Parts: sequence; structure tokens; C-alpha cells
Amino acid sequence: MSARAQTLGAPLLPGTITRRGFVKMGGALFVSLSVPAEFTYANGEGQTSLDPSLLASWLEIRSDNTIVARTGRTETGTGMSGYYAQVIAEELSVRPETISLILGDTDRTPDGGYSAGFLFGMENVRKVAAYTYHALQDLAAKQLGVPAGNLSVTDGVVSGGGKSVSYGQLVEGQNLDLKIPVSGGYAKIDPASPDGNGLAGLDGFTVTGEPKTKAVSQYKVIGTSYPVPGIPDKVTGKTQWSCDVTLPGMLHARMIRPATMGSSLISVGTLDKKQFPTAGIVSKANLVAVVSPNEWEAINAARSLASTTKWTDWAGLPGSDNVTKTIRAYPWGAPTESRGAKGPEVRAALASAAKTISATYEVPYVRHAPIGPFLAVADVRSDGSVTVWTHSSQSQGLRAQIANTLSISPEKVVVRWLDHSGQYGRTTFGGDGAEADAVILSKLTGKPVRVQWTLQEDLAWSSVSPAYVIDVKAGVDTSGRLSAIQSASYTPHQSDARLLGAVLAGMPCVTPKAGSWVATEWPYDKIQNRLEEAYGMPSIGSDATSSGLRGNIMRTPGQRQQNFALEGLMNEAAASARVDPVQFRLDHTTDQRLLDILNKTAKAAGWEARPSPHRSARKTGNAAVTGRGVCIMVRSNAYWVGIAEVSVVPATGAIQVTRFTIGADCGKVINPRQLDRCMKSGVAMGLSEALKEEVTFDEEKVTSTNWSRYKILTMAELPEIKVVQISRDDKGFGGGSEAANAVVPPAVVAALFDATGVHARRLPLAPPFVAGLLRG
Amino acid sequence: MASELTLTVNGAKQVVSSAPETPLLFVLRNELKLTGPRLGCGMAQCGACSVLLDGEEVRSCVTPASYAVGKKVTTIEGLPAIWAAEKKLSDADAARTLHPVQQAWIDEQVPQCGYCQSGMMIAAVELLAKNANPTVAQIKDAFTNKAPSPHLCRCGTYAAIIDAVQRAAQSMKG
Repeated sequence: MSARAQTLGAPLLPGTITRRGFVKMGGALFVSLSVPAEFTYANGEGQTSLDPSLLASWLEIRSDNTIVARTGRTETGTGMSGYYAQVIAEELSVRPETISLILGDTDRTPDGGYSAGFLFGMENVRKVAAYTYHALQDLAAKQLGVPAGNLSVTDGVVSGGGKSVSYGQLVEGQNLDLKIPVSGGYAKIDPASPDGNGLAGLDGFTVTGEPKTKAVSQYKVIGTSYPVPGIPDKVTGKTQWSCDVTLPGMLHARMIRPATMGSSLISVGTLDKKQFPTAGIVSKANLVAVVSPNEWEAINAARSLASTTKWTDWAGLPGSDNVTKTIRAYPWGAPTESRGAKGPEVRAALASAAKTISATYEVPYVRHAPIGPFLAVADVRSDGSVTVWTHSSQSQGLRAQIANTLSISPEKVVVRWLDHSGQYGRTTFGGDGAEADAVILSKLTGKPVRVQWTLQEDLAWSSVSPAYVIDVKAGVDTSGRLSAIQSASYTPHQSDARLLGAVLAGMPCVTPKAGSWVATEWPYDKIQNRLEEAYGMPSIGSDATSSGLRGNIMRTPGQRQQNFALEGLMNEAAASARVDPVQFRLDHTTDQRLLDILNKTAKAAGWEARPSPHRSARKTGNAAVTGRGVCIMVRSNAYWVGIAEVSVVPATGAIQVTRFTIGADCGKVINPRQLDRCMKSGVAMGLSEALKEEVTFDEEKVTSTNWSRYKILTMAELPEIKVVQISRDDKGFGGGSEAANAVVPPAVVAALFDATGVHARRLPLAPPFVAGLLRG
Repeated sequence: MASELTLTVNGAKQVVSSAPETPLLFVLRNELKLTGPRLGCGMAQCGACSVLLDGEEVRSCVTPASYAVGKKVTTIEGLPAIWAAEKKLSDADAARTLHPVQQAWIDEQVPQCGYCQSGMMIAAVELLAKNANPTVAQIKDAFTNKAPSPHLCRCGTYAAIIDAVQRAAQSMKG
């Protein structure tokens, strides 16, 4: 089975999607449930979206008993397409390999939503499948003349009273008028958006009602390691990626970006027509590009044009060495969000504590940094229709943004999704990417345009995960237990979802609003008093023509940074109390799920209970010292534990992580093998963040613009990884794909402390920083 | 200026019209529609574009197409045929048999986004041709320290890749 029932090849033009065309493109012999004579669309005027209240928009059952399912959410690489197939298969009692998925296309999927919201998206398709299952039961009862209660279903075949019928046979010729109850709507521009990204409705439609779903004890598909659907095609080269889209008459484009983040265009350079006979220059305000039918010519012409294009000078960034100072200097007002006790109670508890521990933790600017830079193809037609081929993880949000930029109705815009390099959160709000470049260039040239960013461009101009400065303070009672915790995190904006092309071209954009949020889910119920505050400021350099360092969310956003400080504080407090850091955590919670995963993971790691630092800890010398450290996190109905073992050479500051044990209880595990894969790969990303990653910039622009300057983890740096999973039948589903990265840095920092007796309170733990820290 | 170049790609002779200095990657993708190799960094720093040239891994993003003339170019699309020829499989068997490295990549569920994995599989094929039974340390070394750069995976699938290389090594022995 393919993750996409159909990709390219068939005509993909907006406005031509009739019911017949729809089915033809899907490659399906159409035998539907709910069968309106002519397909109905959400908007009566256009034909570019589906009506989510119709079953046929979500599911088709074909006569061969295979199923096509559709959701606007996409596969980002964590295996969600497999989970969707498993959940649908479970509720319908069919085999998951009989299900083909259509993902992310705004004209061929009903619900919208973003990929990171798997738990929401899964609930949608689960309910649709459950509604369908009950409708099929009723149909079968009538057809077989057997009460529904006496029927059973195996692999899409309904049996009872000695008779049986397949779903495919059952629905053939039937007109099942099944309405799916929904609420919500597609993403739209909303300047008042409380989330600060300038959009509303990013969750898309929600399927409502409470259809009876399968009991967990009856599960046959959920909980098995069903293979992730798209993998064979990715391995054999059959997948059609967004970078593989070609259209008749398509032009390749390369962008010429401003000389600095705040430069304005003085003059566009010239191209030697003899050298570049088919290349052309396109520009609008500060958006400058070269287009050519030949990609190699576009690349060379862009280099040539860049050397003769003139920009104004600008030097308005503080430089990455001064980020903390810049954040500290901001005139902070009230927090955007605060959670926990009221301030006076916590301050009183801290004042009356036997002892207090205070610390400041710093997380640098990092970025998503996929291996494949941004890319998009757009076809803006003279009839006003727009089609965009994207790898965004928020197709409806992107549709709204493109319509806004072009000042047209969203009904004119079709967004088609295809696989590409991972996004790690940067397109969650439907922005960031090459799509605005592509539509603007297509509109200006009147031809389909493919825009391929370069790596340097992506590492310099895509949105970034902003730096954090986090002040934490704990009150310790006479027994060494914590009586109060206060934290305040300060960060530049991290939900700026604007498309760079629109910003540079001076075209309409969403209006981001600075702010931040408390992302931690409080794990320590025994700590009586706590106050967590989150403060947000505008992006650094936000007054520049390009809007500077456009802050955006990145994998385990906010919580990754805030938990780094909270768990750092817990380790400092445990050390201060001379208590084993695992025991110290056990002492501060009554949550059985946390207790269980902590105990089980510690056991798997061979954890020896003792306080940190190790008695032979040392902060000098050329001989390596070793240590181990722990951290936990609670996120999206999942409980995480990370245990790092490190070897450190104090004189050089070189850290080798020798083993990492990671534990997760994310409720009912849908796919144990893929969870194992996500946990291990999340550890790799977390190690990369702990040890290596930092976006650097001078006063003019980003300087970490290739893989030797923006370093990420290599295979040789990967330690042995042990995985511990707890699956529970009575706690629902939790988020297992995303969060593993966040339990790495605090554990590595704790292990460094165990080995050396020195607390590191900033990332990354690059050797010069660590060596300097150990020298004191 | 464009000139005619004759390339041997996945066992077939192909005549393309390209400027000789055009990176092989763009010729494979845009002229020959072989989209297995993908553009990553464009400067031989990541490995997403890797192909085999006479059995040696090269970064096609910086390899001039003219350099490939007279050599055998293999992309992931051509790996099954290499294996079928090596094992002298019948046409029927060949049609349903993947290269053991590809099969291991499926069986070990390696790709996440998958963008880098074409290059990873090419590196694995080259490694296993030189070392039929690599240790974990040798696998890490091959994917990290071999010139011109480490093979990078941002999703972090390195552990899965190690598992898959070892699985492929076992099945290639069998």
C-alpha cells in the first residue's frame, strides 16, 4: 500500500475536480457509501474543497473491499500514516494494508489540521471509522436478515446466521446517507489570534459526537508493529516527492536574498544574455530571483546576478554572543502566561524555606535544519486559480496565507502535499517556506515556477527556534524536599509563520504578535507551591526589512527549553540535598505512571542509587571521567525518562555520550516498533541539541549557513540506545513521536555534573565552552 | 554550452544534451527523471545526492556530468538489477527482488522523512562491497569519516541504519 493513493501524473488542475474526475484521479473504482449524484463541496461556488460532513469526503469503500481514507494531516516522517491506517482498520475491522491514504491536499481531504496534532487527527478518523462501522452493521443486518448484535466482522467481511457479505458487496448500489457531525472550520487569517501566529482554526474540523468505539481489549491492529506505508516506495525510488514535481513550461527559480537581514534593494544586477540565453530576472520590492527552463542555468545565473545586485547596508542584530544580554535588556512587562500558585504564596514559601537554590539556564537559537532545503512549485493561472505543491505540514493554513498574500479568496487556491524533508515544526502554522516565492514568481512570469532554496539560504533565512533565558528558584525544607519552585522564561517570539517571499515582496502577510506560553506539564505534585511564568518579546531584528530572526516553534517547543531549566534545577536540588537524583524525583510525585516509568527505565539503565556528583568526579586532567544523569518530562499524556552516561575529558571539554536509556509511557502504544524508531531518532536529535547546535549571527546576518558551521550529530557520535516502553490499556493515547529529543539535554548536563561536579547551565555543550566552564 | 554526453546509467546507455560541467545530479533528475538522488547541500556536505560511479560513492551534486562519461552510474533505482545480475536471478525472480540493502531498509523501517536515505543506501552498498561483515564501529566510521563528509540524517535514523546495514550484510551472505 502506498501512503498516497495517487500523486502526480493525473491532471491536477484546480477547478476541474468533478466527482468523476475526483474518482478517476484517486484511481478508484467508485463504490461509495453516501453517494450524492454529483459531488458536493464545502463551498457551493468553487470545487476546491470537500464537505467534511459527508462520509464520502472521508472514506470510500471500493467493490474489491479496499478503502480510501482522506485527512488533511500529513506524514512528517514519524509514521503517522501508519497509525492512521491502524486506527481506521481497527474501528472498521479491516486489515490496515487494504487502506490507502490521501493526505494533506486541500481539495481532496476534508478536515484540515496540522500534522503535529496527531492525537486530534486520529480522533477524527477514529470517529469517522466508528460511525461507518455502525452504519455498515445496520446495512448488513438488513441484507443478511440477521440482527446486528449477532454479526461479526473479520477483515471487512460481515458474518452471521451462516451467511456473510463483504463491505464492498454491501455498499454496492447502496445509498447510505451518513452525515458526519463536525464542528470548526479551515484555517483562516485572524489578526486577533491569541496564539500570536495571526491565524485561527489551525486544528481544522473536529468530528463530534461519541460513536461507540472498539474496546481496547478487542484491539487486533493497534498495538502491533504494522509497517509504515510509504517506506517501500521511499526505498525503491518510486515516491514522488515535492521536489519531483514538473509541469509543462515550468521555470526553475533561484532566489537572490538581501545582503543582510535588513538590507533594501538599491538596484538589480544584470545578466549576460550570451552566457545565460534563457534566463530571466524577476523582482518585486526586495524579492529578487532568476528563472530559467534549465535548473543549472538558473543556478549559475543567480550567482552571477547576486554579484552585481546592490543592497543597502544594515547592521541591526546584536550578534549571537550577545543574545542573553539582549533578552535581559528588553523592557519586560507582565508575563504572557503564568501558571500555578499566585505570586505572593510562592514568594512567602521561598522566604520561609530553610534554603533556596537559584539558577539561570540558557538555550541558544537553534533551527530545524532539514537535509532538504525548502522547495515549492506554484502555478498561478490567468483565470485566477492557484495551485501550490508543497511539503508544508499545514496545507489549509498555507492555503489561507497564500490567498491572503495574493488578496484572493481561499477557494481559488489548491494546495497539494507531497513528501519531502522533515519540517520539525516549522510549517505548523502554514507558513515558512518557498511557497510565497513560487506563487509571486508564477504570477509575475505567467508560468509555473519551481523554487528551490539552497542550503545556505535555508540555514540563513528560514525561521528559527529562538533563544531562551530561564530563571528558576527552589525552596528547600529542612528534610531536603522542595517546598516551592518559581520559574520565569524569557524568549523572543516563536510563532511567526509568515512566508519570507511575501515579507520581502512587500505583499500582505499574517500579523504575528509577540508572546510565549508555559509549556511544561507539571510532574511534581508533591511540591506544594509553584509559579511558572512565560514572557515573550518580538523577534530579534524584527524591525528589519526581512523581519530579522523570525522565531518559530521547533520539536517539543517551549517545553524542551522550560523543562531543561526545571530538570536542571531538580538535579541541582538533589545534589544539594545529597539525594540520589532518581530517588529525589520519586520523592516529589505521587503519579503512578511517572513512578513506574522512572523505576523501569532506571532499572534498564542499571542505575546505581547514589547522590551526584560521583565521588571520583574531577574537573581537571587529560584522563576521562565518567558520569550519569537523569531527567523526566510529562507531555501530551506521555511520561518520559532520559538517562545519559557520559565520558568527559576535562582538559579539552570533549564529551562523549556512551549510552542513553530512554523510557516512555504514552498510554496505549499504537505501533511498538515505530515508537522504538521515534524514540531512538529523537535521542539523536536531542544529543545534537545538547552537544552541537547553535545558530550564530553577526550584526548583519546569520553566519551558521552550512553543515560545517551549523553542526548536527553524526552517526559516529551516536551512543548505544536502550529503549523502555510501557503500554497501558486504560489511559488513552499519548504523544509518542515527538518529545524524545527534549529528555536528552537535561540528562547529559546532569551526567556532566556527575562526572565533574560542575553544573552546565547553557547549551550546547561544545568542548571550548565545557573546558572553560571546568577551568572555572 | 550544451553538448551531447553519453552516459551509462543503471545499465542503460543514455544520450543527454547538457553542459558538460552540469552536476550529474541535475542530469539524472531533470533529463533522465531518476529522482532517487536528491539535492541536499549542493556542496558535498550531506550525502543526499550520492550515487555509485563504477561502484564508488560520489556526491552527484558536485560531480560534473562529463566526469561520468565512460563510467557506470548507479542510483537506487538501479540497485535491484545489480543484485539480480550478481545472483543470476531469472527475470521473474528479478522482478520481485530488491537489493538486500533496500530490503533491509524496509525490514528495519529505516526512513522517517526519508530524504537522506537514498544516499544512505548508496553508502551502505559501497561499504558492504568492501567489507561484507562490518562491525558497528566500522559502519559508524564509514558513514561519518569517509571523505568528503559525513552522511547526515536530521530525523536521527542512525540507529536504524546501523541495524539495516547489519541485516543486509547477513542476507547478502546467505
